[in-house]
Amino acid sequence: MFSISQAFAPPFKLISPFFIVGSFFYLAAVLFMFFIGAENLSLLDAKVLGFVHLFLLGFVMMTIFGAMAQLVPVVLEVGHFGVELFYAIWPLLGIGTVMMAFGFSYPMLLPFGGVVVLIAMMIFVMEIFLTIKKVEKLTLVMSSMLLANIFLFLGIIFGLVMALGYAGMVNVDVDALLRSHVFLVIVGYIVVTIMGLSAVLIPMFGLSHGFSMKPLKIAITMVGVAALLIVASSFSGIKIFEYAGYLLCVAAMVVYFFFVKVLFVTRARKEIDIYAKSLLFSFISLLVSLALGILYLVGAGDTFLLSAGWLMFFGFFAFIITGHIYKIIPFLVWFERFSPLVGKQKVPMLADMLPKKSSSAQLIFSAVGVVVVAVALLLQNEMLIKAGASFLLFGTFAFVRSVFYMINYK
Amino acid sequence: MYSKEELFLAISTVLDPEVGFNLVEMGLIYDASCDSEGNAYVKMTLSTKACPLHQLIMQWVKEAVQKMAGIKSVEIDLVWEPAWNISMADEHVKQALNRG
Repeated sequence: MFSISQAFAPPFKLISPFFIVGSFFYLAAVLFMFFIGAENLSLLDAKVLGFVHLFLLGFVMMTIFGAMAQLVPVVLEVGHFGVELFYAIWPLLGIGTVMMAFGFSYPMLLPFGGVVVLIAMMIFVMEIFLTIKKVEKLTLVMSSMLLANIFLFLGIIFGLVMALGYAGMVNVDVDALLRSHVFLVIVGYIVVTIMGLSAVLIPMFGLSHGFSMKPLKIAITMVGVAALLIVASSFSGIKIFEYAGYLLCVAAMVVYFFFVKVLFVTRARKEIDIYAKSLLFSFISLLVSLALGILYLVGAGDTFLLSAGWLMFFGFFAFIITGHIYKIIPFLVWFERFSPLVGKQKVPMLADMLPKKSSSAQLIFSAVGVVVVAVALLLQNEMLIKAGASFLLFGTFAFVRSVFYMINYK
Repeated sequence: MYSKEELFLAISTVLDPEVGFNLVEMGLIYDASCDSEGNAYVKMTLSTKACPLHQLIMQWVKEAVQKMAGIKSVEIDLVWEPAWNISMADEHVKQALNRG
């Protein structure tokens, strides 16, 4: 008999704050967009940096960390080293994110916010490292988790040094460090984590079978090498390393896309529910983002990079996360509230726990908003950006409502 | 004491809450037997190794068999070979999943 140890599954009260706080940060990031004018539309503008950190730290990282509290025992097949540590992570990450979001406009706040975020992430990374240490034999997915957390560890160290430099406390080349920081955290951690988890979650929900993991292995290896090349270019100043890193990364994402396409095509469960629709929009955004990124690399203007980044963050990251939220929260609530009642009374199916109208509203309004803003960024049209942000605002309100509906389902 | 069909019928009360079908029609129960003294044996799999409900599902299968009169013990053998795939499910399950 082969069994998987999934004891020590974390209680829902430990995980739910990550999703609640994360959804509010998503809403706050969209609200922040109304305070960004055309004059701010550059990559290193203080308001844009504040907005990006609010979204990436407050929503993306917060939600991923919460999901990892649940998924680590599932993926690693061992219990957490110290799951109670997650009680400290979300408040620290939340406070640090707010300080950092304002810290780009009020630089004295930045190093303090950076340190608080650093502490939250260090707790997370160390907990994951110590949990991974319990694993006897690493699979590809487990290795991807280890690699992603090493990149996160390095990325936040770079980020802290940058924050100190930004506040004038140390003398460093912030621009050189920025490239490594962005690449290590966004590609090294977020993308590698999404890649690894895709191989577990998409087949699990779609009942895909008989696919090869080789493309995923190739994609993760390519991303790993790309991250090293980008870091090397930061320190050496050798441009060829930087461009080789970018190209390798784009190629890795294309390989990953085809891996996911195989998962999607071979799935036995053909239902196009809110999960499948969210993933479809997410991966279409990824493809368009990559195309815009390639155009930027071959000489198109900065607007292409801005639009590519927008689609990567609010299209690919946001929709793959919200899609999985519609699977993860109902499962956690069902497990906590209804699984003890199985066999004793009628219990709902997981699909019954989804708010059909608000989840559909979230998908439609957010998708329209993302597309409108992507076009507006290419055209540098402030009015159109605000119009897209208005759609997104309705979408994120619907998302917050959906999160509360699922959490309070009785 | 009980035939394979009788044991399968008892286990068919266990539903997968994600897909809404019972484990027998999903093809997740590979074999079942029971000796004359009431010691039952169930050989089963899951649709994925990463299933976060695996312990609960095994417990539900055990409880479903234990409810049968005269059952003394239930041994659950969770196996991964042969790996489950959709061809093992009943025709109506395949059609329903394929329709969406």
